[in-house]
This record gives sequence, structure tokens and C-alpha cells, in this order.
Amino acid sequence: MSNRFSFGIDLGTTNSAIAITDLASDRTEVVEVTQILSPNQVGERSTLPSALYIPHPDEFPENSIRLPWQTEVGDAAIIGQFARDHGALVPDRLVTSAKSWLSNIHIDARQKSLPWNSDINEEKLSAFDCSRRYLEHLKEGFLYAERRKGREWNLSDGVIVLAVPASFDEVARNLTAEAADAAGLGKVTLLEEPQSAFYAWISQAAKEWRTQVGPGDIVLVCDVGGGTADFSLIAVSEHEGTLQLERISVGEHILLGGDNMDLALAYTLKAQLEAQGKSIDSWQLLALVHAAATSKIALFNDESLTEVPIAVPSRGSSLFAGAVSTSLERATLERVVLDGFFPMTGAADFPREARNVGLREFGLPYASDPAVSKHLARFLVRSLANVKASESLTRLVGARAAAETFLSPTAILFNGGVFNAAPIRARVRDLLASWTQGPVRELEGAQQDLAVAKGAALYGRNRATGKGIRIKAGTARSYYVGLETSMPAVPGFKPPVKALCVVPQAMEEGSELLITGREFGLVTGQPADFRFFSSETRSGDTPGQILPDAERELEEPSLLQVNLPSIEGFPEGQPVPVQINSVVTELGTLELWMKHTNSERRWKVEFAIRTE
Amino acid sequence: MGLAVLALVALTLVPAAADYRAYFAVAALVAAGVLLVTIVIGPGKRPELAVTRPELAVAGAATVSGTAAPVGVNPADAAVVSFLATLQEKGRLVDFLMDDIAIYSDGQVGAVARVVQAGCKAVLLEQFQILPIREEKEGSQVTVPAGYRADEYRLVGKLSGQAPFAGTLMHRGWKTESVKLPRVLRTGDDRFPTVAPAEVELQ
Repeated sequence: MSNRFSFGIDLGTTNSAIAITDLASDRTEVVEVTQILSPNQVGERSTLPSALYIPHPDEFPENSIRLPWQTEVGDAAIIGQFARDHGALVPDRLVTSAKSWLSNIHIDARQKSLPWNSDINEEKLSAFDCSRRYLEHLKEGFLYAERRKGREWNLSDGVIVLAVPASFDEVARNLTAEAADAAGLGKVTLLEEPQSAFYAWISQAAKEWRTQVGPGDIVLVCDVGGGTADFSLIAVSEHEGTLQLERISVGEHILLGGDNMDLALAYTLKAQLEAQGKSIDSWQLLALVHAAATSKIALFNDESLTEVPIAVPSRGSSLFAGAVSTSLERATLERVVLDGFFPMTGAADFPREARNVGLREFGLPYASDPAVSKHLARFLVRSLANVKASESLTRLVGARAAAETFLSPTAILFNGGVFNAAPIRARVRDLLASWTQGPVRELEGAQQDLAVAKGAALYGRNRATGKGIRIKAGTARSYYVGLETSMPAVPGFKPPVKALCVVPQAMEEGSELLITGREFGLVTGQPADFRFFSSETRSGDTPGQILPDAERELEEPSLLQVNLPSIEGFPEGQPVPVQINSVVTELGTLELWMKHTNSERRWKVEFAIRTE
Repeated sequence: MGLAVLALVALTLVPAAADYRAYFAVAALVAAGVLLVTIVIGPGKRPELAVTRPELAVAGAATVSGTAAPVGVNPADAAVVSFLATLQEKGRLVDFLMDDIAIYSDGQVGAVARVVQAGCKAVLLEQFQILPIREEKEGSQVTVPAGYRADEYRLVGKLSGQAPFAGTLMHRGWKTESVKLPRVLRTGDDRFPTVAPAEVELQ
């Protein structure tokens, strides 16, 4: 198959973007996405806000929210800038952060539950539906934009790369890939977002990049977007004179980002106004959030400014009557954003855990501690544990693996709009330097915005052409199947669940394994459930290894279900002996199969939501 | 398209067509409007314009047959109203201009001016690439070269002889080199787009 182009998709939590590499010209560019800008207005923007609005049937005139590629009215949901802006005033009809719902282990991603906690009469959508719709919009937007430039692509003639957070487990990754398929993108290749940012940086720095990193370097990719923070470590080594890159650790899913900072600033400004005896309504608060965001950028970009005046107009047509004004001072900005989100805490200061309330309402698990510094500290400690768990990683990392508490990076690559602000980058560098007792250099030439989309397109180019460097990665986690321990029942004592390792960490794309040591009996015609566990810090576990206590040491992202149909040759009711066969596809998705011990027949295991 | 406008304008001058003159004039205006949009939106974005052309044809046919057809809102006018709506939405420009400014203090006016300036500037930067015509500092001596574009300069004072002209730069001038206006979806409607919708909060 000859590929003509590579299409990179950044399906972000708050903003999405797309890019293309034309393989004939080898040029990579961001493709602007056509979207509804207001009722009756359609236009292009470099990002598509990941916001979906379900309009009331009478809310907008017919045709006034129809996209150029929509031939008939019917699919009324609005996606993008207008959905986000208008939805802020009608929150019951707005879905945001659908991506984070995809990795929420308590809510079925296919359950039609969004917008969360709203009581609209229209049919609700599942997190999966929303992701599918965003992807459909990006796909159609891509084809439409290219057609406008006189280029006609057939999606099957290209490599399609979809970036997902490094913190996504296999269940969320598989759901995303499935949503892409349902959106008409076919089989997409998955790529972790921090790696994507790294590919974009390599391309941006061009030949320079090899002078900026060298063997022994451990690069922290620090990606803070609008709604999430995502960390990864990439180790640089040398093999027969060429540089090699390996992703050695990924972080947890942290719902904390730039939007939190703007909100925190807006509430600070609101309190400031109230202290002056002025009150603002909820509409004005939204205007204040917007003003806080732009003033933050103005202050961070121009160090000579000591304050930025802020005015919030009244909502009615008489602008002047209810307008209130105040100003954002540099000291306030530094206190709220730098000290609030990036405090100079110690390397052993971990985020405050959420209080464990018995009947906690399930919603998005927002980070309960806003200090990015503490999440970063926890990540580096967990990274060291992960490296120490395997001999090969310990060897790769070298002297730094001998550290006692955390793995210290030597360089840092920033990604995400938050890091457009030089003072925030400087703060993170200072923070790391205070932990590692030495400077951590910042990789130069990074572009904070749109890098993930470009990097995804560039990775697709590398895959299609076989040119360019590849980061060695494989699965970010190891995976386990729960084994019920057979023990005599003791009142008040629950026997521990053992865990059988079925996928080791760093299992490569396009490989498969048969776990031969352990046989299971499946009964035909009866669905069977297995508990499923994962870990991002156990790089040393090998396939077939058994851990004594799964619940204490592992995460439990999902439930496994397998349903053996009644089949010829297998008597009803009699267990069929099977072994677990794990596959990581070329495209980066995980598949688990139950393979008949005595033949080549196998049955696919589905990931299901865990219900307590 | 330019030829079509000329042809229609020419027809209005033919005495035999006098009965239809008014209709032809309207058709000519519509054609000119479409031409304007073509110029404003640029050649890369023609696919949308294809949508407006059939309506033009329909309007023309109706006038020729002499029936009193409702002619839809001129798409160029609709695009202008739509742009005004954006300035209102993002920068509250219409609110600002329609209010009675005399009764408010300079402080109040100043505070609101920030809202209008920030919002309208964002719209301007997003939809146009605005560049100065002359990069030099105002007040400095500049030369207007031979073969200068006449519409880019307003030469005042003693104007005689041939370019190049030497003089003092009083205003640097502005020009735009790219326009990225949103497209209006409901063309051929009998109403203009709304400048700002009436807002009603439901409890």
C-alpha cells in the first residue's frame, strides 16, 4: 500500500487540532477546522474547542447551524467555538471534557449520561458518542479544508495517527480507537501525546536536536493543557553510534490545567471587586474569566507591566450603567498562578488525596490538589520505582537509577498553552533545580500550541516512509488478570485476589504472547467475568508471573467479559480449557483472547465497566 | 462576473427595456454585491459562492418575467451585518455607539472603552491582517517612490511635479493583505442577520 499523506489528530480535552503531512512534498501543516462561530456564521479556526452543545429544537433557525458538509438537518449537536461560548450560558446543554469521562472507571463510557446531571428532554450522549462526534467533525473538516485548497484525499490512502494522553489505560485507548473507527476514520494508529510533542520538537529543532540532547539524558515531557496535566520521561541512549529514545515512564491521569488557573484568577478578581463593594452576576463572572485569561497572558508576556486594568461590562444594552472595573496586579497573578499551581514545594511533597467520603457522588475525578509541583513530585518518585523494578531499565538509566527517592530528569520539554508564559517555564525549571541540586535544561525551540497535532502527523510520516527516529515505547503499563484465591472461608476476612501478569510493560506494537503456565475453564453459553488490573510502576513483571495481592498493589481499570457461544465439538456445560493470548496490534491497541489449549480457536475478551 | 454587471448596467440604458429598468437595476446591484463578496472573500473560497449564484439566477428570471418577486437580502449586505454582529458580540460595539455617553463620567467611559477596544481588536486581528503602509515613525521625512500606488497615499500640501515626492509622514496608513471573514449561512433569506439577539434568561 502506498501512502500519500499522514493525518495527525490531537483530540484534546478542551481543544482539538489536526495537521497533515503531504508525503509527496514532505510538508507538515496545521489544518484549520471549519466550525459554527455563531448562529448563521461559519468559519475556520486553528483549534476546535472540544465542546458539544445539544440545542433545543426551537433554539436556532433552520440551516443557521448547518456545516458545509452536512447535507441534511437532523444531527443538531453543535461542536466548537460557538458550542463552548454559548454553552457557558446554558450549561444544562453543554458537554465538555468528554475525553476525561472516557477514562472514568466508575461511569460506563457508553452510557448516555452527558451532559452530566442535566435534565433536558433531548436524548443525552455517552462519552463515546461525544468522542465519535468530535472525530467525525475533525475528519469532515479535514477533507473539506483540503478540498477548498484543491486537494482531494481518500482517507484510505493515508496513515491516520490519533494522539491520546499517556495516562490513558488500554481501556480508554481502545475506546478512543473504536470511536475513531465509528467516526469513519477506519483503523487509526495511537500515539501518546507527550511523545507526539517530542516528535514535533525534533522536527522543529531540525538537525539541532542532536546537539540539544545526548546519551544519558532523561527528558521530562511536561504537558499541561487546558484541562489535564500529562507527564512522561524519555531516556536518551546510544547504540552503535546512533541516538536512541525510549519512553520509560508515564504519569497518572490528572484533571488539572490552564482552565483551572483562569478560574482561580477570576474568583480572586471577583473577591477583589466584592471587597470594593461591587457585585457581579454570573454572566459577568464569565466575562471576568475571559478577561483574567487575556490579562494573565499580557502580564506574563510583558515583564515591564505591573498591572493590567480589567473592565467587565454590564449585561444589558446600556454598557456603561453596570460596568465594573478593577485591575490584575502582577503580585496577585504570581500569588495565584505561580505560587498556587507551581509552588516551590519539596521533592517529597505529594498531592493531598481526595477525602474518602462514603457516598461520594460520581463525577469527574478532578485533582483535589491544584499544585502541579506536587503531582510532578509524585510522578518522579513513581518513575524511579518503575525503573528500579526492571534490570533493563535500571541499566538504561544508569547512575540516576541509584537515587533513593526520585528519578531526576536532566532536560525538560514543555508542551501546552500554559507554558507559553516564560515565567511559568522558569518556575518549573527552578522547582526541578531545587530538587535535583543542579540545573535542568529546557529544550529550545518548542512550540506550545498545536505541537501534538503536528507531532502526530510527523510520526505517521515516519511510520509510512520508514524515515526519521522512532521513540521506543510499547505498552505504558503492565496488565493482570485476577485469580480468586481458594481458601477456607473465614468470617470477616476476604481472601486476597492474586494477579496473573498477562501483558508486561513495554510490550511492543505488533507482538503477541501466550500465557502458557495457567489454564482457565470456560463454560460454553455462559458469560464469564474476570477482574482486570494494571500498573504503571512495575516494569519488571514478566508474563505468567503471579502477584499475591492484586488489590493492594494494582489499579483496576475495568472488568473483562468473555462469552463463549455454544459450539460444535464442545459439550454444553463442560469447561473448555483455555489460555490467555495477549496481542498488542500494530496500531497500538490491546486485545485479549482466550485461546483453546488444544486447538487454534480463540475467543475475544471484551473490556466492560466495573460496577461495584 | 464583472462582465455580467456591465451587461446588466448596459441593459438599463436600452429604452425598450425601460419597463423592466428598475428590476434590472436591482439585479445589477445583486451581481455587484456578489462581485464584492468575491473580492472580499478571495478566490480560495469559491465553493460557498456557488450557493449564492443560483439565487441570483432565480432573482434575474423572476424580474425578466415581470412578476413582483421578493428579492432576498443582498448577500454582501448580509456579510456586513454579520461582521457588525461579531463586533457587537465580542466587543459590544453597537451597545457602545448607541448609548448616550454624555451622562457618564470619563472614568466609566474609559472602563467601557477597554472592553470595546479589547473585543473589537481581537475580531480585527482574527479576521484581517492589518499592516501599516509605511513602517517609518510618524513625523519623519519619507520618500513616496515613483510608481507608488495612488490609493495608498494621500498627498497634501504643495503637490506638483513628478514622483518621487519627499515629505513628512503625518499618518503611517493602514492596509490589509488578507481577509478571513466568517461566511453567512442563511443567504437568500428575506431578513438581514440579527445584529444582537434579545437575551431572555429562563428560570
